[in-house]
Amino acid sequence: MRSTATVAGAPAATLEELLGDPYDAGNPCGHAAVLAADERREPLAAAERVLDGWRLNAEFVPVALGGRLDRVQDLITRLRPVFRRDPALGLGYGVTSFMAAANVWLAGNDLQRRRVADLLLRGERLSVAYHELAHGNDLMRNELAARPDGDRFVVSGRKEVINNASRAAGAVLFARTGDRPGRTHSLMLVETGSLPADRWEVLPRFRTGGMRGCLISGFAFDDCPVPATGLLGGLGEGPETALRSFQVSRCVTAGLGLGAVDAALACVLRFARGRHLYGRTVADIPHARDVLAGVFADLLAADCLVTTVARSLHLLPVHASRYAAAVKYLVPLLLEDAMRSLGVVLGARGYLREGEHAIFSKLTRDLPVLGIGHAGGTACQLTILPQLPGVARAAHSSAEAPAAVFRRGDPVPPLDLGALRMMGHGDDPLIGSLLAAADDRTSPDLRELAGIFRADLFDLARKIAALPPAERGVQASAPAFRLTERYALLLAASACLNTRRHHDGDPFLGGDDWLRAALSRLAVRLARANTSRPHSPEAHGRDMTAPLFTELLRRADAGLGFCADVEPVSRPLS
Amino acid sequence: MPPTPALSHDAPAAGGVPGAPAAPAAGPFPLAERLERHLGDPAGTAGPFTYADAVRLDEESLFPAAICADLDEFGLARHYVPAEHGGDLARYDEALQMTRAVARRDLTVAIGHGKTYLGAVSVWVSGDAAQAAALGATIISGVPVSWGLTERDHGSDLLAGEMTATATEDGYRVTGEKWLINNATRGQVLCALVRTRPEGGARGFSLLLIDKSTLPEGTVTCLPKVATLGIRGADISGLRLAGAPVPSGALVGREGGGIETVLKGLQLTRTLCAALSLGAADHALRLAAGFADDRHLYGRRLADLPYAAHTLGELLADHLLGEALALVAARSIHTLTGEMTALSACVKYLVPTLTETLVARARKLLGARSLLLDLGVGGRFEKLERDNRIVSLFDGNTVVNLHALINQFPGLARAWRDGPQAPLEAPPEGLRVACDLSAPLPRFEPGRLSLVTRRGLSVLRALPHAAHELDTLARATPALRPVADLAARFTAAADVVHAAMARQEQSRMDVPPGAYELAGRFTLCVAGAAAVALWLGNRETWTEGLWRDGAWLHAALTRAMDGLGEPVPGDEPPFPELAGWLLEQARTGRPVSLVPGEAVPS
Amino acid sequence: MRTMFDQAGLELWLTEKIAMYLAIAPEAIDPTTPLAEYGMDSVYALSLFGDIEDELGLEVEPTLAWDYPTIVAIAGYLCEELATQNREAS
Repeated sequence: MRSTATVAGAPAATLEELLGDPYDAGNPCGHAAVLAADERREPLAAAERVLDGWRLNAEFVPVALGGRLDRVQDLITRLRPVFRRDPALGLGYGVTSFMAAANVWLAGNDLQRRRVADLLLRGERLSVAYHELAHGNDLMRNELAARPDGDRFVVSGRKEVINNASRAAGAVLFARTGDRPGRTHSLMLVETGSLPADRWEVLPRFRTGGMRGCLISGFAFDDCPVPATGLLGGLGEGPETALRSFQVSRCVTAGLGLGAVDAALACVLRFARGRHLYGRTVADIPHARDVLAGVFADLLAADCLVTTVARSLHLLPVHASRYAAAVKYLVPLLLEDAMRSLGVVLGARGYLREGEHAIFSKLTRDLPVLGIGHAGGTACQLTILPQLPGVARAAHSSAEAPAAVFRRGDPVPPLDLGALRMMGHGDDPLIGSLLAAADDRTSPDLRELAGIFRADLFDLARKIAALPPAERGVQASAPAFRLTERYALLLAASACLNTRRHHDGDPFLGGDDWLRAALSRLAVRLARANTSRPHSPEAHGRDMTAPLFTELLRRADAGLGFCADVEPVSRPLS
Repeated sequence: MPPTPALSHDAPAAGGVPGAPAAPAAGPFPLAERLERHLGDPAGTAGPFTYADAVRLDEESLFPAAICADLDEFGLARHYVPAEHGGDLARYDEALQMTRAVARRDLTVAIGHGKTYLGAVSVWVSGDAAQAAALGATIISGVPVSWGLTERDHGSDLLAGEMTATATEDGYRVTGEKWLINNATRGQVLCALVRTRPEGGARGFSLLLIDKSTLPEGTVTCLPKVATLGIRGADISGLRLAGAPVPSGALVGREGGGIETVLKGLQLTRTLCAALSLGAADHALRLAAGFADDRHLYGRRLADLPYAAHTLGELLADHLLGEALALVAARSIHTLTGEMTALSACVKYLVPTLTETLVARARKLLGARSLLLDLGVGGRFEKLERDNRIVSLFDGNTVVNLHALINQFPGLARAWRDGPQAPLEAPPEGLRVACDLSAPLPRFEPGRLSLVTRRGLSVLRALPHAAHELDTLARATPALRPVADLAARFTAAADVVHAAMARQEQSRMDVPPGAYELAGRFTLCVAGAAAVALWLGNRETWTEGLWRDGAWLHAALTRAMDGLGEPVPGDEPPFPELAGWLLEQARTGRPVSLVPGEAVPS
Repeated sequence: MRTMFDQAGLELWLTEKIAMYLAIAPEAIDPTTPLAEYGMDSVYALSLFGDIEDELGLEVEPTLAWDYPTIVAIAGYLCEELATQNREAS
């Protein structure tokens, strides 16, 4: 095993190799072991040791602090092998450590940053402690209170459904610290090991239906003194910090789901190639091929959106708020629908917790947890709603995003979390790029497809302009909510069109086949979201998935994954 | 938001509204109501059938034996046996509602117990009278019967089945394996599809009613219970036979008639499967409504947020659309028997699919609560979502049912083409009775089951006439104008779907993927048409609550149009008011159903 | 009602119909070979009856193609049915 202690860019493939062949029944990190740990509701110890050895936590620590965190997109792709293997392993080992640490990288002082970097690089965990059961995503009503008292805070209250509370070295705590309007809550770093043992406790475990191996519990504090040196940023600045760090964690969480669906697609493809029905293999049945290639297309579209938003965090930070909300809203929907259609092909085998395809039913249970975790879809739509007027303006301005946003291989400036805004600023460059790309396609059918999104944008802009302010908050009606869905779909279309546009010469992304399939499927969703226009079955352009099926088989045979970046995977052919 | 008076069952009304506490027996399903009363409040801690027990048994993967024993004591198994064979099964719509009453409490129980009907159905369809009487007595005595169709390597491809019966002097010798069979281990009697001609083919299979207790040692092995995603307590296992001697009297129907009998039996079971979906949706809607009622977010009750109320209203509308289709289909078993091949495929595809979507959307409304097992509703939602996924997979999955419809496209399209152009004649008597829940049903005659639907579906052929009738009603009652206009649009939308079906290429060995989408749209046409017919058929029986001014029909048709991708201009249906009605039903324990009924706390 | 078909005419008509169903050339179909061998699945074969009813104005069992598995056999059965119907009509 190579040492990665000082390597800034450890390749993800290494982790894929270390985790080995998932279908090898004797592999301590294979599906059989993953499923057995899930049955026992335990973390998979063998796989956690592999991640320890690979020093996965270094991915969460900025390069400047001795870690490997540089581009957000690389964090996502390097964690992909973990989520491809077992989403509960990824979440349970410690994506939440990153969610917590992001607040420290953003608002912490040098001492705090150093402290957390050291802690993570030692392999320790941090819990991210926002959630209180009574308030869900409604942060400003959080009740856990931290009363300033000289050089310390006195903390009372509970944080519930907190990952790794029982085995973390500390937590980033969102606490009510005052009554001054708009300045009621603060974030603080708490190292639980140094707290008086009789003033706090770890709550009993919350059992979950998915991610059963995760150690989810919570904290209860009872007049517990914590050092004031843990305060992150200024008193009452908790919400600003949270709403910025969420942009990163939303994008990352959305991106991590791709690994799980990549694995599910591989599982169902294996089934389809091996299963004989009605005198041929399932993979020879046009309907099954269409489903498999369609999921592949959706995976690619989701990846384009995730990567574009991840790069926007670096390159367009003032606009990233609504992009991050859109990606966290749309991608889990795409992935859940993908699982549902794959389940139709897999049939009864997808219902079993044993046998060769049992991983599928586990992924079915795990994914929704990732979708809800750290802001569900509705909370994300509520982030987009007040920012819609900027979208309407963008429909009439031509400000395009720089090409670097879409060039996956290009370097990006270091992540400056302080440059993120709570609300997207001004116009909307990704929407500007949608218009530019729609005009740019040379092949007639792609021009026509792109034209669908272009036309929808203008219709959307008109509807947004007519939206009264009361429709942009929690009192918004269902039709107003549907506008946020259309917006997210338009962003996804822009990401796909522009990824293709800026990858001329790339053997895969530079071709039109994947783009055609991805766009035509996004167009179907768009038509469904826009209930004022009819859409007919003939308009669905189903045959667009046929060339992608060939690519899917090629990749499966060559041992490659199914996301946009072509990467080797440890998966046997059948 | 409080329920508007217009939609509350509490509103005083002329004519004695069923659902008012005073008149519980007036409902159209007295036996189902009796079962509801017997089962009582599942949220309690006492009683044989509680949510808490169901969740615990699932966690421990234990069969709900005590609950099933209680159902036996109630005599539920009698309702799996047709009256002419000694049981109490006289109405398939009531059978649907009874299974639904069990399913809304726990799908494992509904499936584990109800599977006996599936095991027996081949005998009801094709068995002789003596055989049926004997099986009826066995079932009534409490013996579970299972249906052995699928095999490990062949799934839904029944004609590839390898379990073989070789003729002997006095019967057959059976060898082979059946797998993923409900109650294969618990069941004493297995109705197995076996190959009786080596070359197979549509006439190469037969059904044998095998009594495991009569087989010599060594010729029968029960396979281990299979671990499943949901209904974890169910006995899903298999059976291996090695030269098992079976007497000739075990043959159900004639030799070579197995596939035909199975295809006919499936028309009944696929229709009844809707009970499982409807029960799961009942449960999910109650949980979602209860949550929205209690939960406060952003300083408001969740149910008062317009988006949440709208969502609840839409979910209810989807549920009612599925319920309308299921009720009409279950009654059609009696009155339009020859149409069941298409109708049952519509039900088995659409109702589970609607419910899966409904449950997934309810999960999003519940947020983190839906996934936490130890809080509030204690894992009930998480369990019901896992359980519910089985419904679209067994007894003919989504692809199988859509494919069955695609095969019938030419005939169905032809029937539509010929239908609406005929003069606006009154609907046939069979349809009228199917859609009037107060009309007595004739006895179901299995001999009228057919393998194809010859002249299309009456409910669709009658749609133009029904839309016309609504239009006439709207002239007298302007409040019906929106729903009448919608029905006219819906008829036009159904026309578009049928035109596309007619255009579908005849060569269908390689069914193009778009045909499945089209078949899905067709099922929405059927469901919408069933909703219109059902509303018209009962509008004089029920005039209040959801029935007033066609409120539920307006919402259900809007959802069907949405599914068809057709824009619905004009007034939005009263989704928030529907949500208010749902909250009230959940609070008072009244049914989440088109059919008013008495309160059972839960 | 359509004109009367004789055995040869019915075989020809059925061959063309089935060739279309199977998406193969009519010449490739031998009227004495069971249809199942061409990959015509049994449930699908049921839909053949609709065409027959339409074309011949004759009500037949949907399972026709199960009990008469070749084109020759189906045509023979149909010939007889048509003759019976003709006798009854006259």
